[in-house]
Amino acid sequence: MRFIKSFAAVLVGAAAIAGAMGTAHAEDVVLKLWARADRSGPLRAGNIVAAAETLNAALKAAGSDKVVKVNVHEGPATGFDADALDILKAFAVNQGPDLYVAAHEWIGEFAKSGYAMQLDAFIARNQWAFGDVIPILWESSKYDGKIYAVPQDSEIRMFFYNKDILRKIGKDEAFIEGLPAQVEAGQFTMQDLSGLAKEVVAKGAAKIGIIHRPNVGPDYLMTFAAFGARFVDESGRQLILPKAEIKKGLEWFAWNAANGVTPRNNTSMTWDEIQSSFKKEESFIYHQGVWAVGEWMLGDAKGAVWPKDREGYFRKVGWLHAPAGIKGGAPANLSHPISYVVNPKSKHAELAAMLVAYATLPYFNTKHAVTTAHTAILHGQRSMPAYADAWYLEAATPMLARSTFLPNHPDFGRYNGILFKALQGVETGRLTPDKAIEFLEDEMQNELKASVKIVAKLN
Amino acid sequence: MMRFVASRRAVDRALFLGPATILLALFFLVPVLVDVAIAFTDMGRNLKVTTFTTENVERMLGGDRRLSHVMLVTLTYVMCTLAIFNVGYGLLLSLLTTALPDRAGAFFRAVWFLPRMSPSVVYALLWSWVVAPTDYGLLNQALGALGVAPIDLKSNAPMLVVVLANGFVGASFGMIIFTSAIRSIPQHLFHAARVDGAGGLSLVRHITLPAIRWQISFVTIYQALSLMVSFEYIWLLTNGGPFFDTTVYALYVYRRAFENGQYAYGAALALGLVVIGVSVAMILWRFFDMRALLQKPRIEVG
Repeated sequence: MRFIKSFAAVLVGAAAIAGAMGTAHAEDVVLKLWARADRSGPLRAGNIVAAAETLNAALKAAGSDKVVKVNVHEGPATGFDADALDILKAFAVNQGPDLYVAAHEWIGEFAKSGYAMQLDAFIARNQWAFGDVIPILWESSKYDGKIYAVPQDSEIRMFFYNKDILRKIGKDEAFIEGLPAQVEAGQFTMQDLSGLAKEVVAKGAAKIGIIHRPNVGPDYLMTFAAFGARFVDESGRQLILPKAEIKKGLEWFAWNAANGVTPRNNTSMTWDEIQSSFKKEESFIYHQGVWAVGEWMLGDAKGAVWPKDREGYFRKVGWLHAPAGIKGGAPANLSHPISYVVNPKSKHAELAAMLVAYATLPYFNTKHAVTTAHTAILHGQRSMPAYADAWYLEAATPMLARSTFLPNHPDFGRYNGILFKALQGVETGRLTPDKAIEFLEDEMQNELKASVKIVAKLN
Repeated sequence: MMRFVASRRAVDRALFLGPATILLALFFLVPVLVDVAIAFTDMGRNLKVTTFTTENVERMLGGDRRLSHVMLVTLTYVMCTLAIFNVGYGLLLSLLTTALPDRAGAFFRAVWFLPRMSPSVVYALLWSWVVAPTDYGLLNQALGALGVAPIDLKSNAPMLVVVLANGFVGASFGMIIFTSAIRSIPQHLFHAARVDGAGGLSLVRHITLPAIRWQISFVTIYQALSLMVSFEYIWLLTNGGPFFDTTVYALYVYRRAFENGQYAYGAALALGLVVIGVSVAMILWRFFDMRALLQKPRIEVG
């Protein structure tokens, strides 16, 4: 009897251990990914989800019992700024994601608050994934000299100019095709561009000379940069407001509005009105980025049909950096990478970072690049057939040489919001450039206090 | 027995008043307290509080140079919408529709009620199309048919657009209240006045308006307060712009707090709005002598 009892005890014990082992087998790790619902980049989240399959296969091959599942939260925010504020709110109530997608200029705020994992060591350990990243892009992921994010894409911004409109006013091919070189050499300035746009409007070849985005964003910052403005000091930690340079930029916008080059109501127009006016050849110059080519410039979107092939497109449209503010100066461009960030407090931070490593591989990133018309993050992508086939990306990549980035300063989002208000004030005629500088000084001192240093001029 | 009755009474009180008290406390009192608390902190975009400070209140009272302009915009917006539409036009509509045969009157009231029934986003979108600055805007199409060049109201007269859009919604509230008030005026007063030779305008001036005085006072106070704190149509139509041209106080609070992430300063501004709202309500209460309305009737009307 005693024997039977002890035998039963052994059986029960063995069953319990086997049961426990059974549950330990195939451990599901659910990672929460936060990515803004964004038509212009569905694969920012999609690539992480797809990378999980590759990661799981690698884990299985290595004998691990972990299975990574990605739970995507798509924020409804209309822009990356609003989305970043939502992510911060989620973190504040302990509902933060394990990894998330953010515009690079927010890295500083996340890093400062302890919501972004410091990745230098991880990147050094995983050169198989990160070794080929275009080095300048890492600058966009740094805060206080350390890397806190992995660039997910890059882009080129440009002034698109309509060559057919120039032909209409009698410009010869040498002038039309030579403009980018003139800009590159610093011989064709911002004021020359405005003058040309005014001529186009005066001769009735277009209704609008220059048209730009209607809301806060990165584009117009390269206009100010062309006039020599910088937004942070050399250390990268101190925001600066260089009054003389910013005023020159504002004067350019004011001149355009006063001379019928840019409509006074540009900032209250819708994206659709703005883009359609360029596509229907009512506007001579449109200022945005290379993804616009993929999104609506080719084919029949926005109310007009344009050629889809390289030759046809470039016969109609040309690309310019923001020309230099003064003759002989340097033109400016601006890239605005979106990044993957890992939550350091996540229980599975290392696995989340590993997912980012896989999603950084050329196979995944090229899918995002060619489907959403963003430029590459790896040198190697340029030799991939799919990328080379996207001829406008290939054509834009050399423009990265003039690229600058937004400052990764926690307060830059607010800085930019105030700068946009001043631009709007000047363009709508509510403020003179002098009054706009007063407005900027006042608002920045009130809102950003010691974060921003006001300087009379840079050089 | 007495003790049982007393405790029963206490239980009844708690049962009857409890739910309303809890709701009031949760949704009216607690938010005000939270707002007061946040207003005296340094809560920023990461929602963390590191110190308690009076800086936000000081900034509101002295440092914020935008605020005086925002107050002026709010005053213009509230006064114009209230006087022209919410009270003035509402009154005119109720006078006209009650003078019409019943069916026709009800039809016109229903038409004027439509904007209130449509979702705000749809309504604002319709207005955006009406005043769109291109040739395709409804207004510009109409002007084009008359040979007039297209105009851009949203940029050149944004306050007009905002007042019109809000007024067309707001007029229906006054219209309904005034209509029911006019309907309850005893008909024999009108008949007697007619016999005495009163014309249409005299009837309105000497009978209708004095009879609906309380309703006019109530609508004025109620709508003044609700206009002061509402901003959704403005936000959807002009987003407070161009520049700060249509940024009313409530929208200013929203933008500082939720668009810039300055939650503490937004809370201080909201506190300012509560103070202004209470003051305006008390002044209007006094001005219209609303206490008399709430007095017990001196005679029983049977």
